[in-house]
Amino acid sequence: MRKLNFRFSTVLFALGVFTLAATVSTGVRAQSPAVDPAATRILKRMTDYLGGLQKFSVHTQNTLEDELDSGHRIDIDVSASVIVSRPNKILAERKGDLIDQIFYYNGKTLTLYNPSDKVYATVSAPGTIEETLDFARESLGLAVPIADLVYRNAFPLLMQDVSLAVVVGKAVIGGVKCNHLLFSRPSVDFQVWVADSGNPLPYKYVVTDTGTPARLSITTVMSDWNVAPTVSDSRFTFVPPPGTKQITFLPL
Amino acid sequence: MKTTLRITVATIALVLMLIADVPVLFEQLVPEAYAIFGVRRRARRRGVIVGYSMGEAAATSAEANQAAAQKQADAQKQAAAPPPAATGKPLPLGTVVSALPAGCTSTPVGGEEYYYCGGNFYRAVFQGNQLVYVTAQPK
Repeated sequence: MRKLNFRFSTVLFALGVFTLAATVSTGVRAQSPAVDPAATRILKRMTDYLGGLQKFSVHTQNTLEDELDSGHRIDIDVSASVIVSRPNKILAERKGDLIDQIFYYNGKTLTLYNPSDKVYATVSAPGTIEETLDFARESLGLAVPIADLVYRNAFPLLMQDVSLAVVVGKAVIGGVKCNHLLFSRPSVDFQVWVADSGNPLPYKYVVTDTGTPARLSITTVMSDWNVAPTVSDSRFTFVPPPGTKQITFLPL
Repeated sequence: MKTTLRITVATIALVLMLIADVPVLFEQLVPEAYAIFGVRRRARRRGVIVGYSMGEAAATSAEANQAAAQKQADAQKQAAAPPPAATGKPLPLGTVVSALPAGCTSTPVGGEEYYYCGGNFYRAVFQGNQLVYVTAQPK
């Protein structure tokens, strides 16, 4: 009898597992080809909302997974505070193990300033945030915090080549109830957590490089969203403190 | 008897689920995998970085690797290497190093800051987000 009970519970367990598998696969399979409109709708609502904001500021905590030559995996943490004023101003400050750097863009010039090294470089920049982010990345090799989400046309850029979009479920990030979304495209998976009620702001963003065996991720957790910050235009222009030396950018 | 009935019902349900579910799951996964591999192969051949977020990931990852490599290099330097300043020979102009060799002295030339050591003049520059030093001829 005891033996029978054991068998019965094994069967029940297997049944449970298969029911779960069936449920999960039904969730993923429901659409063709695996792009759930519910997920893309939430992503679009988020990017439309961010793209429509005249000004915003946010604090981000970024964790970069890395693999040392010795094979050990480590995390590198960088805190960043970003202020965006459309159409042509960004102030982004990054502090961390790797970096102590402030990025200024005032509509005319772009400046990179390393306070601890007391050096800065300034170059003339295009007239909009979008063009300047492109210029920074393509001509100078610069990465600007949360650039992916700052673009006004972020939605088509994010959705490019997406072959899978899923609403994973609900999660609470920093006390805010969010929809957890998963998207997959060649060599990249990304997850976004978007506030479930109120303003559809992102609270977490994870990009995973699925093209290499290490499958490293970059995680950004966002907090202290302010969608109407009071910030004067002068803050976006760099004024070199005494003793600071001007250097140049190495062309790519 | 009751137990046997339960087992039978459960087993039948299980078998039905297997039949109903598994083939569909395979059909779903296989083309997906082919699609992804196909695209990835093509992309690699072209030598392009796929996607937008990917660019960001690659940039930051490169940054992190560089930093980690430098830390390891620093550790090794502390452990073994003699100060390279005294014995150094001139490097080709435009050589980029992630940190100045030991014993460099700051030398302003024509309003610009140079660092001199081991027969080389270095100038601080930004390479992307990284502060690096490049060998240069003072003007």
